[in-house]
Parts: sequence; C-alpha cells; structure tokens
Amino acid sequence: MNQLSTSQRVFRGVLLGLVILFFMFPIFWIFLMSFQTNEQILRIPPSIFFEPTLINYQALITGRLETQAGNLDIAFMENLWNSVFLSSSAVLLSLVLGVPAAYAFARYRFRLGEDIAFTILSFRFAPPLLVLLPLTLYFEDIGLSNTYTGLIWVYQLISLPLILWIVRGYFEDISPDIESAYRLAGHSWLQTFLKISIPLARPGIAAAGLLSFIFAWNNFVFALVLASADKQPVTVGALAFVTASGIQYGQIAAGIVLSVTPTLLLALYAQRYLVEGLSLGAVKG
Amino acid sequence: MSDKAKSLFEAYAAGKMSRRELLTKTAQLGVAFGAANLMLNKASTDLLAADFNWKAHQGKSLKLLLNKHPYVDAMIANLENFKSLTGMNITYDVFPEDVYFDKVTAALSSRSSEYDAFMTGAYMTWTYGPAGWIEDLNAWIKDSSKTAPNYNWEDMLPGLRASTAWNGVPGGELGSADAKQWCLPWGYELNNVAYNRNMFKKAGVEPPKNMEDMVNVAAKLQRDLGGPYGIGVRGSRSWATIHPGFLSAYANYGQKDFTVSGGKLKAAMNTKASKDFHELWVKMIQDSGAKNWSTHTWYQVGTDLGAGASAMIFDADILGYFMNGGDNKEAGNIGYAPFAANPNASAPTPNVWIWSLAMSSFSKQKDAAWYFIQWASSGDHGMFGARKMDFVNPVRQSVWDDSEFRSRINESYPGYLNQHDLSAPGAKIYFTAQPLFFDLTTQWAETLQKMVAKSVPVDEGLDQLASSIDRQLRDAGLG
Repeated sequence: MNQLSTSQRVFRGVLLGLVILFFMFPIFWIFLMSFQTNEQILRIPPSIFFEPTLINYQALITGRLETQAGNLDIAFMENLWNSVFLSSSAVLLSLVLGVPAAYAFARYRFRLGEDIAFTILSFRFAPPLLVLLPLTLYFEDIGLSNTYTGLIWVYQLISLPLILWIVRGYFEDISPDIESAYRLAGHSWLQTFLKISIPLARPGIAAAGLLSFIFAWNNFVFALVLASADKQPVTVGALAFVTASGIQYGQIAAGIVLSVTPTLLLALYAQRYLVEGLSLGAVKG
Repeated sequence: MSDKAKSLFEAYAAGKMSRRELLTKTAQLGVAFGAANLMLNKASTDLLAADFNWKAHQGKSLKLLLNKHPYVDAMIANLENFKSLTGMNITYDVFPEDVYFDKVTAALSSRSSEYDAFMTGAYMTWTYGPAGWIEDLNAWIKDSSKTAPNYNWEDMLPGLRASTAWNGVPGGELGSADAKQWCLPWGYELNNVAYNRNMFKKAGVEPPKNMEDMVNVAAKLQRDLGGPYGIGVRGSRSWATIHPGFLSAYANYGQKDFTVSGGKLKAAMNTKASKDFHELWVKMIQDSGAKNWSTHTWYQVGTDLGAGASAMIFDADILGYFMNGGDNKEAGNIGYAPFAANPNASAPTPNVWIWSLAMSSFSKQKDAAWYFIQWASSGDHGMFGARKMDFVNPVRQSVWDDSEFRSRINESYPGYLNQHDLSAPGAKIYFTAQPLFFDLTTQWAETLQKMVAKSVPVDEGLDQLASSIDRQLRDAGLG
C-alpha cells in the first residue's frame, strides 16, 4: 500500500472534515435550536450564541407549553411511547414469525416455497395507500380498527419481509454440515435450530431487526389512516407543532432530538452486530 | 350561587342588562371575575335550552374529527356547556393540519362510521358532496323539530352561507336556489393587507391603495429598510397559493377562473386584463418578494411577518391577527388595511377560506350529530369564542356587532375591524365550483412559479395554461 505524503494526509483530512461538516451541521443546528426560544431561533441574522433554555424539553416532557399566547397541550410523550411500543412489538413479532420462516426457506425446498417468499417480499413494494383503504374496511368489520393489535399486524408489512429475506441469506451462508453434526449427536431439530443456527445467524438477525425497527419507526401513514389521535406515532405527533397560529420551531427541534434518541441508542448498542451482519451478508463465497 | 346572583346572570343572558352592569353588580355580591364568567356561560346555556328539547339525544356519544386550530381550542374550552345542555358525550380526534385532510379523505373514502362530524373547508366539499360522503344540511336547518328556534341561520354572513352551498353542477353558482348546504360556516378568513407599522413609519409609506401602488410600496420598503423584504405572499406549488391574496386581487379586476356557457367550462386566465394583472403580480414578487418565495406557504408568510423578516403580507387577515400576539418579535406592531387591487373598484373583493362543520353520511346518529353542529355554529358559542378565545373571524353578524368583542379587537388589533367591515360585503368564494378544482388550481400556481422564475413570459405562460386546462376539462367531459 502506498504511503500518503503529509500534504495528501492534510488534504484528505480537510476533505473528510468538510464531508463531516456537511452531513453533521444540520443535526448540530437542530440540537442548538432545541435549547432556544422561538424568538431566538427566528432572529435575523441567526446566531450561534444564545442563552440556552430547557423550556422546549420541559414542554414536551410535561405535556404543556405555556406561551404568551396561551397554553398548548402537547401529546408528544404519548406519541413517543406509541412509536416505541408499535415499532418494538412489530419487530418482535416479525422476529418470532420471520426467523423460523427464513430458516425454512433457506433449508428446505417445498411446493410454492419461492412463490410464497416473493409474495411476502412484494408487500414491501405495494403503495401503502393502495393497501390501507381496503384494510380500513376490513378492520372496521373485524373490530381491529383503532387498536394497537391491528396496527402491529399492519406493521408486519414493513418488518416481516425485511427480516425474512435478510435472515434467509444468513441461514443460507451457514454450512448445513454443522447442523447435521449436532443432530447426529442426538439433538432434536428444535435444539439444533435454537442452539446452532440462531447463534450463528445472530449478527444477521440483529442487523435485520435494527433495520426493521428503523423502517417501522419512520412509518407515517399506517397509524394516521387506521388509528385515532391517541395511537399516533411520533412521526405524526411532531406535526402538531405546526399550527395555524405559528410554528413552534424550538419544540420541533427538541422533538427531533428526543425521537432520534431511541433509534440512535439502539444503533450504537447493535453497531457491532450491524457492521458484521451487513458485511457478512453482502459477500457470497 | 345565590338566587340574587343567578337572577342577575339570567337577566344579562336575556339581554336586559349590559355586561359592565352585570360585572359591577356581581362584584358587589362578592362573586369573583372568573366565577362570574363561568356563571355567565352557564346562564347563556340555560337560556339556549329554554325553547327547545336539547336533551332529545341524552346519553348518546359522538366522535368528531378536528384540525389543530384556535377554533377547536375555543370549542373544547366551551364543550362542558354542550355536554350539560344535551346530556351527550363528545370525544374527538385532533390532527395537525398538515395531515388533517389526508385523515378526513381516508375516513370518508373508506366509508368509516367512526366520525359523526368533522371540520372541512368549503372547497373540499366540492369533492366530498358529489361523492355522497357528506349530508346536505338543509334537511336539518329547515326542520323546526330539529333546530332550535333561536338558531337564527339568517344571522350567518350571507357570503359565507352561499359559499358553503353548491348544487353539484360543475360551474353551478354557489348558493343558488337548488344548492345543497354541504357544511356550515364555523370561522373564516378573508384576505387583506397586514403590515409592520414601525417599518411603514420608518420608510414613510402608507398601506397600498391598489395593485400598482402595492408594487411600488413593496419596492420602496425593500429598498429603504435594508433587510426585510417588501411583501409576503404564498408561492408554493399548491392550490393554496392562488386562493388568498392572489385571487382576491384578481377578482377585484372582475376576472374569473372560468367562463361557463351551456354547462361547459372554459379557462379564462388568458384575457387581456388577466395578463395585465399577472404582469403586475409577477413583477411585485420578482422585485420585492421573499427570495425563496416558491416555497412559501401560510406558515412562512406568517412567520416572516411576525419575525420582522417582511414588511407586509397580502394574505388571510387572521394570519396577521395571530402574528400580532404570542411570542412573535413584532407582536403589537402589526396593523391592518383593506385592499382593493383595482383602482376603479369601489371596495375589496376578498376570496375567503371558511373552516366549516360537515356531517359524515356514514354517521349512525345523524340527528345527534346535528345537535352538536348547530350548537357549535350557534351565536351563543360564537360569542363565547370571539370574546374569550381566538375564535376569529366570527361567521355571524350578531357577533361582529357585539360591543365587547369589538372593543377587545380594537384595543389590540388596530385597523382590524375596519378592514373587515369594509371587505365583508364582498367576501365570498370567487372560484368556480368544479370537481377538478385542486388539480387545475395547482397547475395555475405552477405556471405562476414559472413566470416569476422567468422561464416563461407571462403572456405565453397564461395561453399555455388556458390551453392545457381546456384540454383537461374536455377529457373530463366538463369543457
């Protein structure tokens, strides 16, 4: 490998710095905004120096914003909880259903197997509104309209295909010989699946779970159409700060910081699996 | 409450005593101000109940679909009165405006019976009505067994009553004899000038008197103030760019969006007078509009005025109203002026946006839903909202005539009443009602963007627009 000269290293450092600045500045600016009042945010010209305030976070957490114009009730924490609950439950259910299914698709050949796998994958490509309007009618009939159960079920359209197809790739990469050897030692199929296959595919399962969680977290339209205001996720709830009488930029920024935090923490925790999982699955040997 | 205090409130509610007199006398009896207001609302509610069986649907529960708006805040603040008046329960879903109409459309198109009544704009009923999703409310308004004798439908401003009624025929006149009342006006906004009084003083200018004057005043403000831009108007690629200031000025020149002949529509945006008006409008934005005008919606136009980034706006009067309060930097500095674009016009002709209440055709308790709609649109609730909350603009003449409301507005919003009173007689929807409203009006906004960006000359752009619209009308069997 060629050694870089000092000037090349400096040039590379400057370039990397510019790229980081380009991508990180909006996030940094939003972070700063979350500690400012609306008046500070809207001053002309904008300034990086200000007296920080926690009023935006306080308003979001207490659910009440007191302004000179009056009091505004904020359901942001309920929205945040809905996002956590819906996304986690949907991904957990998808893991329970999707991982054994992925194993079956990877290890066994059965009639219509590929057709079923592609049908599940096709859910990812269907325009949500095309699916949602008929679903609303069915949900009304079977009593699932405006329920968490109904929403978690619909969220499977997002998370199940991802988990099934990503994890299937990992199972296919694991040599069947290892499983056979374990079974020859007198263990059952279930024991082999739980003790050998799943641990070996864990990075892939973690990566698929995390990706599904992010997609589910970012979903906007499913709960909007199928549920009442009290079951809306943070993606819909954040819009409540845009009102006819003005935009609460400070609360929007604080809301973004709070809503990014769970996904960020999860991603940091699962980073090791994520990198390993995604890179392993990317190269077929 | 003592009998004496109770009789004082009843006397006031029956119009036998002034408010000042009432508050003085209740204070003498030792009733605190806050308690006095509560008692007053209760007395008004009792009076409302006097000649009508408001308890006919006692025990029922309704669900409403609402938009996050000061009108809704006012309704929620007064909701306990409705519950005690009728014995009914109300639940509601409040959604942010950005997604509100998606939610309404999804609920109605899926024939959901979840919501009994909901907020809507009049333009939306041009889609909802013919689709059979909402009820013609004439059936209830005209039924004396279902509508309280003191409801006083005629008290609603005539332009608003007409603007919310349509016969469903493309090009049909709004408010015609055969029109269906698709919704009831609840609160509304007309379009005039709101301006920063300090900036106008500094630049030594007066609110503009006509379109040419507006172009010049905006340019002078931009030049002299050295920072803020001259005029804020909407510019995003949306029908909502056309309906406020733009259409109000356009209509003032007697121009129309379509001509209707033999039941067929024809685009009318490319007349000589229309082209002259468009030239002025485009020049105004090019010279003195926001740099990122093509992204400006209600929010940016209002925020810039409130933050002192623009010197005036030609948009909804209530947008200027909201920017004069709250945490806005320029709160207290905003003035209001009526605006007639055409120098030969005798008065302004503002196009209006009307937040209205409609009844879902899929509701399973329509009569009960009507009880809510008539209470929420009653003079009693309108008066409460106008006096105590930001329920402006009221849709009833009696509320506009109320001295307490007028003095509150006069004190904090200089010129607001004047701009409204001068403009209200000509305030109505100036669009032609037709089912392609949203698509065609959005295309108009898109053409406006191209003209401002100088990618097409005004003359040529309007000819292209008219030709494209005529083709679409023919394809849809409307032209």
